[in-house]
Amino acid sequence: MSLATRVDIMSEAIDVGSPDEIEEGTARVVEPEESGFDEPIAVFHAESGCFYALDDTCTHEEASLAEGWIEGETVECPLHSSSFSLRSGKVLCLPATQDARTHKVEVAGGRVMLYPGVDADEAVRAGE
Amino acid sequence: MNSVPEPPRRILVVGGGVAGFSAVNELRARGYEGALTVLSPEGLPYDRPPLSKGYLLGTEDADKIRLAPEAWYAERGVEVLPERAVALRPAEGGVELDGGRLLAADRVLLAVGGAPRSLRIPGGEAALTLRSRADSDALRQVLVPGARVAIVGAGLIGAEVASAAVGLGAEVTLIDPVELPLAPAVGEAIARRLHAMHGERGVRAVVSLPVEIAAGNANDGAAHLVRLADGSSVVADSVVAGIGIVPETGLAAAAGIAVDDGVIVDPSGATSNPAVFAAGDASRLRVADGTLLRRAEHWEAAVRSGQAAAAGLLGEPAPAFGAPWLWSDRHGVHVEAVGTLDPRQAPGSRTVLRAVGGVPQAAFLLAADGHLLGCAAVDLPLMVRAARRMIDRGLTPDPDALADPAVDPRKLAR
Ligand SMILES: Cc1cc2nc3c(=O)[nH]c(=O)nc-3n(C[C@H](O)[C@H](O)[C@H](O)COP(=O)(O)OP(=O)(O)OC[C@H]3O[C@@H](n4cnc5c(N)ncnc54)[C@H](O)[C@@H]3O)c2cc1C
Ligand code: FES
Repeated sequence: MSLATRVDIMSEAIDVGSPDEIEEGTARVVEPEESGFDEPIAVFHAESGCFYALDDTCTHEEASLAEGWIEGETVECPLHSSSFSLRSGKVLCLPATQDARTHKVEVAGGRVMLYPGVDADEAVRAGE
Repeated sequence: MNSVPEPPRRILVVGGGVAGFSAVNELRARGYEGALTVLSPEGLPYDRPPLSKGYLLGTEDADKIRLAPEAWYAERGVEVLPERAVALRPAEGGVELDGGRLLAADRVLLAVGGAPRSLRIPGGEAALTLRSRADSDALRQVLVPGARVAIVGAGLIGAEVASAAVGLGAEVTLIDPVELPLAPAVGEAIARRLHAMHGERGVRAVVSLPVEIAAGNANDGAAHLVRLADGSSVVADSVVAGIGIVPETGLAAAAGIAVDDGVIVDPSGATSNPAVFAAGDASRLRVADGTLLRRAEHWEAAVRSGQAAAAGLLGEPAPAFGAPWLWSDRHGVHVEAVGTLDPRQAPGSRTVLRAVGGVPQAAFLLAADGHLLGCAAVDLPLMVRAARRMIDRGLTPDPDALADPAVDPRKLAR
């Protein structure tokens, strides 16, 4: 698959609502039916006011990160308390050892727009 | 290992459980660049909690429960050897492996865990125990539909095995001399709710002490007859004992290191030999005033002590940790406890419950001066995370808010 096709497919943004529909310190799960992505995605409204998105399922076992404890720029898994950076997806403590996949989110025109499958870092690197 | 070189250049971790693994992770995170080897006779380090949960039920396989994939070690320059240490050889500057080879090291971390405590009653050796993946595999073989299984010990592991066993179709009798197992860990109300679930799920819970495991008789067609102190007996095809562990102190003791129901360590994992550190279930903490604490036998305690020992190995101060935490999964619920729920440890304390329809969801222990000492909850992860922060920050939450199911836990710790 060429990069061009990939960008075409992946860069289609999804409108997940207005910023105040996701309270600060909480998250909303966007299911595969809605996103077309193969995994549920959690869209987080961090305490800083920023929005981030990660694969919703913890990389350790089966738990929804959207149901975790959101503090600063991290989320703590509700099951065994691994923490992940909302910004980079980096796992910050055990038992998980695998980073979480990030997805690009931006607030545009008063809407929270999610780019399923577009790595947040890649978006940053591409100067977006 | 007699004269300790500064800084260490060759660290050997004996034991690849979660304590050893956490130490390795922390050593590299702290910038240690010297040689790092883990002795792990069971192969690539794996996590034990699933052995009585998903792995026992067959929903998670050996790959899934590994603490990290093979590449993780390669990326960090960590060598994992599937070998057993048979002796610490301080005078020769290393550790002797099974087979006689000497492995050089200038610092050693003992993270050797423990062995399941055996049932010290006549016939007690017939009981299966659960510590390793191999144990879980063996247990899985006998937890088949219709099998009569007697489980001795209704603490964390016994209760989880009982839950898995009924899930797999076995007929389970759970035997414990204590009326309310786990009450010190999760408080009475939650312990009562959890214990009642056994009956609801078809586990027969018996309050008595086993005195003998005798051979079963032909009429029952069962291999075992567990005789109890109250005169009754339980017919069983298999007996499982989950009554705690005996810490592995042999290597340390043989090398002249101080042990007392665990390798004695200070808060940075240092033992009585300056080149040897210890962590995890094998270790026992002596705090600054000289008191020897009880061993924890919990996952997070093992992680933290591994991290503390990593600091100690590098000559750095041990990090400060907050309230201790544990979890257990049984009968489809997720139980967690943080801090202490044992009122005997805090004179003047009181317990507050958050209940829905008379069923306790969370219990809190408040000190006489109102600050939060502990919280246990069933399927209420945000409450436990809120409580942990309140405890660590020394907050005095409003008891009515704690008790009110309508109050969002997230609001309590902010
Ligand atoms: C079935 C089960 C379920 C559990 N569930 C929970 C739970 O739900 N929640 C919770 O908080 N805790 C739970 N625990 C407790 C938790 O898993 C332990 O506290 C933790 O595993 C301790 O880690 P450790 O590294 O100290 O010891 P271990 O995990 O025992 O690791 C020690 C390692 O050292 C190796 N070793 C021993 N001797 C030598 C030697 N001479 N040379 C080389 N290697 C050696 C052993 O092979 C072993 O791999 C559970 C434990 C078990 C067994
Ligand atoms: S499932 Fe998230 S830490 Fe275990």
